[in-house]
Amino acid sequence: MIRLKHVVLGAVGLPIVILLGAWVGFFNVGASSGHWKVTAWFLQLAMRSAVRTYALAVDAPKTLDSRGLPAAAGHFARGCAICHGEPGEPRSPAVMRMLPQPPDLALTVGDWTDAQLFRIVKHGIRFTGMPAWPARDRDDEVWAMVAFLRELPKLDANGFRDLALGGSQPTAPAALADCTRCHGGHGGGRGDLVPALAGQKEAYLFASLQAYARGDRTSGFMALPVTGVDPADLAALARHFAAQPSVSADSDQVPAEVIGRGQQIAEDGIPERNVPACSGCHIGSDKNPLYPRLDGQHAAYLERQLKLFRSESRGGTRFWHIMATAAQRLTDDDIRAVSAFFSKRSAGPQ
Amino acid sequence: MSANVGLFLLVGCAFCFFAKSIGWAAADELGEPRATALGLTIAPTTLTAPQPDNSAALRDPGGGLSLFLRNGCGACHTIRGTNAHGTIGPDLSHLGSRTAIGAGVLPNTEEAIARFIARPDLLKPGVRMPAFDMLPQTDIQAIARYLKALQ
Ligand code: HEC
Ligand code: HEC
Ligand code: HEC
Ligand code: HEC
Repeated sequence: MIRLKHVVLGAVGLPIVILLGAWVGFFNVGASSGHWKVTAWFLQLAMRSAVRTYALAVDAPKTLDSRGLPAAAGHFARGCAICHGEPGEPRSPAVMRMLPQPPDLALTVGDWTDAQLFRIVKHGIRFTGMPAWPARDRDDEVWAMVAFLRELPKLDANGFRDLALGGSQPTAPAALADCTRCHGGHGGGRGDLVPALAGQKEAYLFASLQAYARGDRTSGFMALPVTGVDPADLAALARHFAAQPSVSADSDQVPAEVIGRGQQIAEDGIPERNVPACSGCHIGSDKNPLYPRLDGQHAAYLERQLKLFRSESRGGTRFWHIMATAAQRLTDDDIRAVSAFFSKRSAGPQ
Repeated sequence: MSANVGLFLLVGCAFCFFAKSIGWAAADELGEPRATALGLTIAPTTLTAPQPDNSAALRDPGGGLSLFLRNGCGACHTIRGTNAHGTIGPDLSHLGSRTAIGAGVLPNTEEAIARFIARPDLLKPGVRMPAFDMLPQTDIQAIARYLKALQ
């Protein structure tokens, strides 16, 4: 018969015994023998349930935006493929021995909803090595990655390389090849959400790279390429892109009245809503070298940045806050119009 | 096999841990929140009545005018006779002849103008002009000298 004394003894004693066991090194934390079937089952159950539950709070868009695919693919090649593999590229045997083993995502993405993938990519999975997204406040980037994961099962080796590495020149120095993966060989930016760097002001490019490196400007796509790069190399990269001839980015048709409205905002601001004229800082060669040129930049990129400024989630150089003030009172329609105007404006005689 | 039993117990214990922590997220706590909140609210400005042309505004011995335009002050302020046509902030065409600046909170001296440009928020809570203290102090002084000379 079990007496109260035994229960108490057990309740106190068992944890002590387990602790003691852990301290002496009795438990095998080695990954070589794998999990017991029941352990593996339990861990999977807990992980899947947690993802399912937390994903309920995620507000998924009806259709995924495909404009960020090249950047997401470029990021996947460097930030994810090392563990999850990529089409046509066998993974290193070291990774295959990880516990749990990172799954081949081309085979498993179908098991998850968009919201669940978002949850996993944004927050990572504890105790498995699966990392969280490297930047806060950049749900837009996480959604771009989810859109890419949906494409992944359809890609063969060539399709993947085209999407991920399109413009890069394998002969370029390593640091530069890393950039052209997303920004393209002529610095035009691959995909509408990757900015053109060609012909941008050198001081602005350099200060922006430092802002990413310090974490003053957050982007999961840019965090990895600047991490651990010597400031002198960042300066050289800024010089390289600034010296490239600017390329006209977009060819989409935009109604003339939208462009006209954009021009009005750019040149006069919106006085009744206290929006200053953009031209006062962004047009003309006599402006501060840390104030970026916007001419010929991708409209979708400009829109995204203006929305980030408006919600105060776009940091930047030590001048970023004046731009946040300027963007505060812009509506979505204003943003679309003024972005379309600048994207169509050619640099002209500067 | 005993190792696996051990591991299973260890996992069981670890589960008690999870119950306390919030979910499986690896790094909700990345970085720190952006420190500066912009306390700037923008309300309509009163426009100053048209003034006669003042070409004296173009005289710029200390480089103050070109610094003014280069840093985008002209996006919000007008100085007649120059390329500054902004209407968000007050017209500065005759700033030097005013008795006070910053809506009356400061005496009209070169030094006070410089202090206002650097940190308007410190001098006037709720101000609608962003701080420019990231500019070199010498540039701010040159701008202040130029503005003070606008009679
Ligand atoms: C250091 C290795 C590592 C890296 C880098 C990594 N992951 Fe993972 N990932 C894992 C592991 C391990 C799991 C399995 C977790 C489990 O099954 O509990 C996983 C699981 C996932 C899952 C859930 C898949 C499933 O069916 O269980 C997705 C989705 C995923 N990763 C996406 C990504 C993306 C996107 C990136 C790049 C931004 C990335 N991972 C980078 C290790 C990694
Ligand atoms: C994985 C794709 C990717 C790679 C690789 C990459 N970039 Fe970027 N880059 C982006 C995206 C996306 C943005 C916009 C990020 C944002 O929203 O802040 C960006 C922004 C920038 C900006 C800011 C431009 C502006 O107008 O504000 C600079 C400068 C830049 N990248 C330079 C580089 C350099 C130099 C490298 C190589 C060391 C590089 N990038 C590698 C995707 C990438
Ligand atoms: C008082 C000066 C000023 C005014 C006025 C201004 N901006 Fe800016 N803007 C800046 C500065 C400074 C930056 C660079 C911020 C950083 O990255 O540190 C910037 C950055 C930007 C960017 C990001 C560019 C990139 O490559 O990432 C966009 C887009 C932009 N501005 C649009 C506008 C629009 C549209 C207007 C007019 C409604 C405007 N700006 C008015 C100073 C200004
Ligand atoms: C985003 C718009 C904006 C920009 C950019 C801006 N200002 Fe202002 N400024 C204002 C507003 C609005 C006021 C009125 C402040 C108040 O009283 O609330 C003001 C006030 C001033 C005053 C005091 C004027 C008076 O009548 O007392 C001076 C001087 C001044 N600004 C100088 C500058 C200089 C120099 C720059 C550039 C370095 C600059 N401003 C850039 C919006 C701006």
